[in-house]
Amino acid sequence: MALVKARKMATAAPAGTADGGDWLTRLDDADPAQRRRAAHALGAHPPDGRPGAVPALSARLAREEEPSVREALLTALVRAGTGEAAAALVPYLASEDVGLRNGVIESLQQMPAAVVMPEVAPLLEAGDSDLRIFAAQLVGKLPHPDRLALLAGVIGRDPHVNVCLAAVEALMDGGDPAALPVVERLAARFPDDPFVAFSVDAARRLFSGA
Amino acid sequence: MTRLSDKDDGEGLSAADYDAFCRFLRERTGLSFTEAKRYFVDRRVAERMAAVGAPDFRHYLNLLRFQASGEELQLLVNRMTVNETYFFREMYQLDCLVNAALDEVVRGRELGSRVRIWSVGCATGEEPYSIAITLLERWSRVDDFEIELHASDIDSHVLARAREGIYEERSLQALPRHLIAKYFTRLDDQRWQIMEELRESIDFSLVNIADPQQMAAFRGMDVIFCRNLLIYFDDLGRREAASMFYDALSPCGFVCLGHSESMSRMSSLFVPRRFPDAILYQKPQS
Repeated sequence: MALVKARKMATAAPAGTADGGDWLTRLDDADPAQRRRAAHALGAHPPDGRPGAVPALSARLAREEEPSVREALLTALVRAGTGEAAAALVPYLASEDVGLRNGVIESLQQMPAAVVMPEVAPLLEAGDSDLRIFAAQLVGKLPHPDRLALLAGVIGRDPHVNVCLAAVEALMDGGDPAALPVVERLAARFPDDPFVAFSVDAARRLFSGA
Repeated sequence: MTRLSDKDDGEGLSAADYDAFCRFLRERTGLSFTEAKRYFVDRRVAERMAAVGAPDFRHYLNLLRFQASGEELQLLVNRMTVNETYFFREMYQLDCLVNAALDEVVRGRELGSRVRIWSVGCATGEEPYSIAITLLERWSRVDDFEIELHASDIDSHVLARAREGIYEERSLQALPRHLIAKYFTRLDDQRWQIMEELRESIDFSLVNIADPQQMAAFRGMDVIFCRNLLIYFDDLGRREAASMFYDALSPCGFVCLGHSESMSRMSSLFVPRRFPDAILYQKPQS
């Protein structure tokens, strides 16, 4: 028979054996497996128990090119789940690296809305319209009481039609019929834009159940 | 009398207690229960509180948190997990294993080298035994390699049953009769026991996949089956589990998920591979 009894594997050094400082050093190890382990270890403990963990994880994220380590760094920051961790992620929304940007958006969505919203909401007024679009998308995904009001503000004032349309889409994804009057205001602001007319019509059909 | 909550109606945990309990369980085991599962959770907590004589929920939670042996947490976990399965379930993935994936895994390997397969969340053992039977019956290169089969679960009771390998008709319903005759011994009208050689070939172990230290014991795996387990985890738990599977796998190793699960919704670490029989998720070469 070709099946053989599995050998008991030697357990690798437990994640908790190194002290915080050691793991911080290992974040810059040449071996990606060590960097991944360090990220896991730093994320596995409350951030206040690892002084400097969040800034170190974030700083490593800026220069990390190995996708598996990047994923471990993002996961560690999600696990930290604090305002400090959310604030550390937000600057990467402006990154030119699409993979990093998408990873950050996904990570922020998985963190508590109460800590993410204060960091993301100000981006709805950023100078860069792409950043405002990402912010509108993110706000739309956060289960937060200010969500509707913030997106309504975008639709009421943002000069860039694509930002407004991102807000419309976010509201439609939320499925709250209270959003319909807000969406309808957009038609008045951009009366000649056929895509706005299409989106508003789609929202009417969605919320009326037609 | 045992009181589940401080609420006057005595029906289930209070909202705050339910939240505290779910957070604790998620932190310690990865299992995630939402409000929709409240009835399921309330019933099982009440049952365990009565069993240990806990006067109220706070005492019971303290027992779970601080009991040095962890025995009560284990007993509760045993009641919180669902272990319904049967032989040859989601057979298309086993087809994929022997028709394509394993041939790719062993490409370039020396004859006689080890191939490691791990069934995570193996429950009462139907999955690892199904893998073993499928390999022996249908993988043409099965005699060219030494195949290790690992199987694990967080529930100690089901692991004991898996090691015992005794099944009723319902578990065997999808197995062809000739395979039942070949690999099982009939014990009585209702029960069959899988042959000792197969029972002895699988390494069953108690593993909490939310615990990095326990997961660190698993390295160099070629294929990981984790089907219909991560549906009990929340987004972060799934993401962390995917990361641990990544560390446990050899380069180019595969993860098999349940039919309703998708790795792309959990993690960006793996590359989806579409084979004729199934989609598997592959760890990149480097």
